[in-house]
Amino acid sequence: MRNRVREQRVQRGLSQAALADALGVSRQTVISIENGRYLPSLPLAFTIARFFDLTVDKLFDPDDEEAGR
Amino acid sequence: MRRSIPPRLRKPALMVLSGILFAVAWLVRGGSLWWVSIPALIVAGARAVSYYRLGDRDTDEGALAGARADERQQLVGLRSRSLGYYFVLVAGFAGLLAAIAAKADWWWPFLLILLVAGFGNLFGLSTYGSGEPDEDDEAGAEPLHSPAQS
Repeated sequence: MRNRVREQRVQRGLSQAALADALGVSRQTVISIENGRYLPSLPLAFTIARFFDLTVDKLFDPDDEEAGR
Repeated sequence: MRRSIPPRLRKPALMVLSGILFAVAWLVRGGSLWWVSIPALIVAGARAVSYYRLGDRDTDEGALAGARADERQQLVGLRSRSLGYYFVLVAGFAGLLAAIAAKADWWWPFLLILLVAGFGNLFGLSTYGSGEPDEDDEAGAEPLHSPAQS
């Protein structure tokens, strides 16, 4: 599953550590989500989407299977 | 009791407690090997201190040691424990086979380990699994079709 977390973070000039602090998760988890190695839980996906003022389906694209592998 | 201990101190405290119990077991055993209890206590203390210090690191292991793991790190910890469970099963089964083949009378502790692990697995399934479907759910259930299929 492809996501646009990195793209959104970079657009806002945030570091991975700053985003992790804002979301209440670890920096390693932000890295894993950005790399597609970890699919966040639904509550965390909503938290991330709200943080970027987007909807979950705008942030996570279920149709792109390759990127999540 | 548990809540009165700061989260970061819980695992180190558990290590110290297990070290004390191990040392007491050697003391109760007595004989010429009573002194094993002393290095056992020292090792337990050293492990607890190093684990406490690990809890400060900015890594997955540090987050787990410091009891501040987020959802992904908790999953990492869960998978790691699950792997440990499989190792115990394999080692226990290998030990059981070796004991039987050697005609030794110390085969039963291995069987006990396997039985406890199996019981723990079943207990986990019954605790965390959703079990049988609700009666209400079965009575009026209609096959579910996706709007995309109709």
